[in-house]
Amino acid sequence: MTSFDIAMAAVTVMFVVSAVLLVAVVVFKWANGRRLAAHNQRRIAYLKLLSQHVAAPGSAGQISIRQADDDAFIDALIDIRHTLSGTSIETLDGIVDRAGLISHQAKRLRSRFPLGRRLRAVVSLAEIGDPRAARILMHHLSDRVPEIRVQSARGLARMRYTAAIDVILDRFHRETPWVQSRFAETLALFGRDAVWPLTAWVRINHNHADSGVTEIIRILGVIGDSEAGPALAELLYSAEEPEIRIAIIETLGLIGGPLALRPLRRMIQSADWRIRAKAATAFSKIGDPSINPILSEGLGDASWWMRRNSAAALAALPGGIDLLYDAIGASDQFTRDAAAEALADCGELIAARDRLEDGSAEPRDVKLISYMHTPEPLAS
Amino acid sequence: MENAETDSTRRQRILVADDVEAVTTLLVTALEIAGYEVVVAENGQKAYELGKSGEFDLAVIDQLMPGLLGTEILGRWQSEGVNMPVIMLSGVEDDEVVVGSLDSGAIDYVHKPFRLPELMARIRKNLN
Repeated sequence: MTSFDIAMAAVTVMFVVSAVLLVAVVVFKWANGRRLAAHNQRRIAYLKLLSQHVAAPGSAGQISIRQADDDAFIDALIDIRHTLSGTSIETLDGIVDRAGLISHQAKRLRSRFPLGRRLRAVVSLAEIGDPRAARILMHHLSDRVPEIRVQSARGLARMRYTAAIDVILDRFHRETPWVQSRFAETLALFGRDAVWPLTAWVRINHNHADSGVTEIIRILGVIGDSEAGPALAELLYSAEEPEIRIAIIETLGLIGGPLALRPLRRMIQSADWRIRAKAATAFSKIGDPSINPILSEGLGDASWWMRRNSAAALAALPGGIDLLYDAIGASDQFTRDAAAEALADCGELIAARDRLEDGSAEPRDVKLISYMHTPEPLAS
Repeated sequence: MENAETDSTRRQRILVADDVEAVTTLLVTALEIAGYEVVVAENGQKAYELGKSGEFDLAVIDQLMPGLLGTEILGRWQSEGVNMPVIMLSGVEDDEVVVGSLDSGAIDYVHKPFRLPELMARIRKNLN
């Protein structure tokens, strides 16, 4: 056998293998397309059946356990449930109850494999949000599969099962950053009910930066309830890690409150530029103009971020625009640049140009426009 | 619209416009059981075209649809003289959208998720 024959044989084998693989891919895609089309047809039929049950309770036929076991039925049930509120939900709960759907999905979730079916079951229970599934989901908060733990937490949050908050927080230290982040999102779904337990947890753990405490502090900001304000403001004094202080400052900026102002004033003079810059932004969100003189000083800070955030905060605070115009005449180039950029970003430059065009410009408009064209020190 | 007012034997016609299948299936089923004739539009452009034909007694339209927004449809109908009661249905809780819808001519605004019996009552009230 010559080397040419060997090469030809190899090419032939490769060709046959490629052709077989190609056919397999085409067949798989075709079969999957048919499966999805059939699933969608059944889902539409179930949507109609469930709509009949909701629109005229008692008029449509019973839904069998076999139907309830169909993924297409569960998809239709979830879609209809998301559309409705009020007494119609009770009708849907009756269907779920009679079809034994919760216990069936719980059985699937309890089985050891396949993982796909377990995931499908936990997502169904989480989406349906029926309180009767709470006990099962509580059990699976410690499941060996992270996604199942996360979906269990999401389901419990959707049904506002507040007993789950402490259990989720107890697990927090043991979870990976990915799970911690997903858990934190679910805790936000509990809303105001979660504020007190989350604040208490932060109080205990605020000096353990690696325990996911920054995630929890930020979730308090997402919930946006000022009840957490005093406790967080107090923790600003005792928190040692800069990341924790930054997270607290950001959250205080969102939930505000007069008690936040005093510790924030201290933070804006911190030796750490990250803390100073975050405190400047927090003041602009709280909307307290008494800080304007300190922000004006911040325009000449050694840190670019502090200069930028101070200027942006002044642009948002009452009386701040006047201070930014004044700063264009400052002797320090960094101060002038920060002020001019903030005025441009907040639309003052365009407004000044408009005023110049219609003849109503003031001297400071001309000063800003000419500075933006030639950012050198201006002749006094 | 004139025909709808004069022909008392004709079933009242309702236009349902929403791109969410669960919403349209539910409303079509509930409205047909209640004795109405229902036509569905799955996007804003189709809803606008159907509505301007003047063949409907009432429309239930979603704010966020592909093609045209609910408020855009209302604005166009208003400028073209389409005189039909419209109930806006939306998951958007923004005051601006609610006020914008009512200013554009909607007679009612219902938030999603909605209470079906309440929506049906609002439809009945506005048809009578």
